[in-house]
Amino acid sequence: MKNLRRISQGIFLLIFLFLFIQTESKGMDELGYPVKIFLDFDPLILTTTILSAHSAAKAFYLSIFMIILTVLLGRVFCGWICPLGTLNNITGSLKKKPDMQIRDWFRVKYYILIFLLISSVFGLQLAGIMDPLSLLIRSLSVSINPLFNYSTRTFFDAIYNSDMRGIVDISESVYSVMKKGLLSFQQPFYIQGAFIGFLFLFILGLNLVEKRFWCRYLCPLGAFLGILSRFSVLKRSVSEGCTSCGACASVCQGNASPDKKEEWKDTECYYCWNCDDVCPQNAVSFGFHLPLSTLAKEGIKGGYASMDLGRRRVIVSMLSGIVAVPLLRSTPVSKQGYSNPSLIRPPGALEEKEFLKRCVKCGECMKVCITNGLQPTLFEAGFEGIWSPLLVPRIGYCEYRCTLCGQVCPTGAIKRLDLKEKSKIRIGLAMIDKGRCLPHAHAIPCIVCEEVCPTPKKAIWFDTAKVKDRNGKEITVQQPRVDLELCIGCGICEAKCPVVDRPAIYVTSIGESRSKINQLLLPY
Amino acid sequence: MDRRELLKIAALAGIGLSIPKGLDSLVGSIEAAEKTDLVVAHGTSPAKITRAAIDAIGGIKRFISRGDVIVIKPNIAWDRLPEQAANTNPEVVATVAQLCFEAGAKKVKVFDSPVNDPRRCYVQSGIEKALKPIGVELKYVDERRFRDMNIKGEALKSWPLYTEIFEADKVINIPVAKHHSIAKLTMSMKNWMGIMGGRRSSIHQRIDESLADLMLVIKPVLTILDAVRIMTANGPSGGDLADVKKLDTVIAGTDQVAIDSYGATLFGMKGNDLGYVRIADKMGLGTMDISKLNIKKINI
Repeated sequence: MKNLRRISQGIFLLIFLFLFIQTESKGMDELGYPVKIFLDFDPLILTTTILSAHSAAKAFYLSIFMIILTVLLGRVFCGWICPLGTLNNITGSLKKKPDMQIRDWFRVKYYILIFLLISSVFGLQLAGIMDPLSLLIRSLSVSINPLFNYSTRTFFDAIYNSDMRGIVDISESVYSVMKKGLLSFQQPFYIQGAFIGFLFLFILGLNLVEKRFWCRYLCPLGAFLGILSRFSVLKRSVSEGCTSCGACASVCQGNASPDKKEEWKDTECYYCWNCDDVCPQNAVSFGFHLPLSTLAKEGIKGGYASMDLGRRRVIVSMLSGIVAVPLLRSTPVSKQGYSNPSLIRPPGALEEKEFLKRCVKCGECMKVCITNGLQPTLFEAGFEGIWSPLLVPRIGYCEYRCTLCGQVCPTGAIKRLDLKEKSKIRIGLAMIDKGRCLPHAHAIPCIVCEEVCPTPKKAIWFDTAKVKDRNGKEITVQQPRVDLELCIGCGICEAKCPVVDRPAIYVTSIGESRSKINQLLLPY
Repeated sequence: MDRRELLKIAALAGIGLSIPKGLDSLVGSIEAAEKTDLVVAHGTSPAKITRAAIDAIGGIKRFISRGDVIVIKPNIAWDRLPEQAANTNPEVVATVAQLCFEAGAKKVKVFDSPVNDPRRCYVQSGIEKALKPIGVELKYVDERRFRDMNIKGEALKSWPLYTEIFEADKVINIPVAKHHSIAKLTMSMKNWMGIMGGRRSSIHQRIDESLADLMLVIKPVLTILDAVRIMTANGPSGGDLADVKKLDTVIAGTDQVAIDSYGATLFGMKGNDLGYVRIADKMGLGTMDISKLNIKKINI
């Protein structure tokens, strides 16, 4: 059973990583792979989105399958499927010594779950911060993948520059294969890459404190599935042959007290079958029994412990979920009429409040963004919006005919747009800094912003001006101006402006189609 | 072989036979007087007119030898569709590549260093699809392959340029004719901006001199100006079909100055209106005055 489980874990991890790598443009309008499908199967995200936004993307109903699976078989997702669980497994295997002390912290994740569910009832969508799939995709996108790319590229570049004839040929052919299959098209860079990466490595590192620390004590999806598994019909039973040798306790992945027979915690079991495999008496077996029926309990040796979360603690978690809402929202971002100029959301992003109710900070849009321009926020959108996407044109502009971010967004926080809709959506407006612009400030010819402007009728036009140079000689220069009705705020002008440190043309969020307040012109 | 060509060969053969060896140079000068400087081919099939234009300028074998490694440089700078005329027509590019293989080229490489995302440019321009079945090496520009080159020009003293251009045996330039706000028009000379690395956008500060300077180091053996569709406004990126004019024309030649000068006439301008053409002519890099050229027009 152990090998079967490992094969399953391996296959799902590989599918997950394959889809992760495919979350990248190949030049076509669509990606061709269902890259967000793991998220689609995530019932925690489905539930919190429904609670906060009162709607959910259609694909999310796939997660009902996961609910049914768990109700039938228990937390098999945790033991057999979850890619983060598998990574925890792998990291945990580095820990050779058995866990010294078995912690009794399993309830913590239920408190976290209650907190997330209650706050989502009040429209605060924080589930993505700790949802394992969202967390994993975000960490891979924003830090692990850049790290992998950076190290690989540095390695091959070093060989390339070494001029060792024969070796360079070999390394370059390996490199080109890797470029096709594994590496990103260009080296990705993310603000906070190191921070998010540190958190992720910390979570993996916890396995060295106790194997599957995250899964046992922190994972809110695990808690969600744990509650569902209360009703599952696949249960473990222990026969008379058990000598209470305790062998099963040391191999139990979920810390489900398998050695305590009657007190076995069905909500903590990942159905890894380790206890069955290891039992010297062959006393353990898994079988189908009607859930929670006394008959079933009496019929088999070994019942299930009550969850016993403690009424007070449950109430405290619920209250914290409620208190968190005004606490996190007492920032200027929530103030009517306040708009953060640098908070340029991706095209198709919903109005800010609606956006925040849905965005689970999974980082799919940042991974797929063709120019690397979509970056995780820190506090630009308040603490509630941490790690949600914003466009930093200086890093990468919004490609005029690209609609990928809306295609990969699992929750519909970014709407899926066709090319025609996309070309009409404004994410901000460009403004010229006349004190830095070459033709405006220095009478030096430059037209780059106009040249690259993608709107069919260019949003940047020229005012021909006659100016004098230092010697009084008259020169004619074309000075760029922005047509505020045509500009869509894509930021290519800012990205390509030759004034490279602080561009002479830059985009801010004003004028964004999704906002009624953050506007400049008279409505027309 | 048409009658004119037959007569020419016969005449040359006659002269060749009748005069002693030391006077070979004379034969050469007669040939030069006869040669076509520009071919303007017109017709509805981009592939056919491209083939005809190259045949008329002397045939691909005049430029390509067996075993050559060829670089073809189209304009693939923008994430636009073929009908938007922001990139070189894919059929024209594929036909030239095909001809190179027919002439025995060992390898044909095609690339550009686009303004928009390279993946989208290669795919959306239709060029990737057109080149795939022919076996052309269509690669993305590799940042490591730019090297500082001595140009010793008026505006550009040295600049990082893409080395594959200089490693190739022969280079063919296949630009598209478009409007541009500072160069006025972008055609063959401006297409070489696509092999510039570094802070290339700053050359707009002295665009005309810079484009002429590039000609000092980049020496294509053949240039084919794609005017199947031209972009008359909002260039060089375009996007509005109303700005696209279908001319069903390609222009082939070896003198980029002459080609750009002729190209200007497609837009109702003259070569003299383009600063870079004027400067290149003055530098002796080509001929701006198209009245001095032997231009052959063909209709297919």
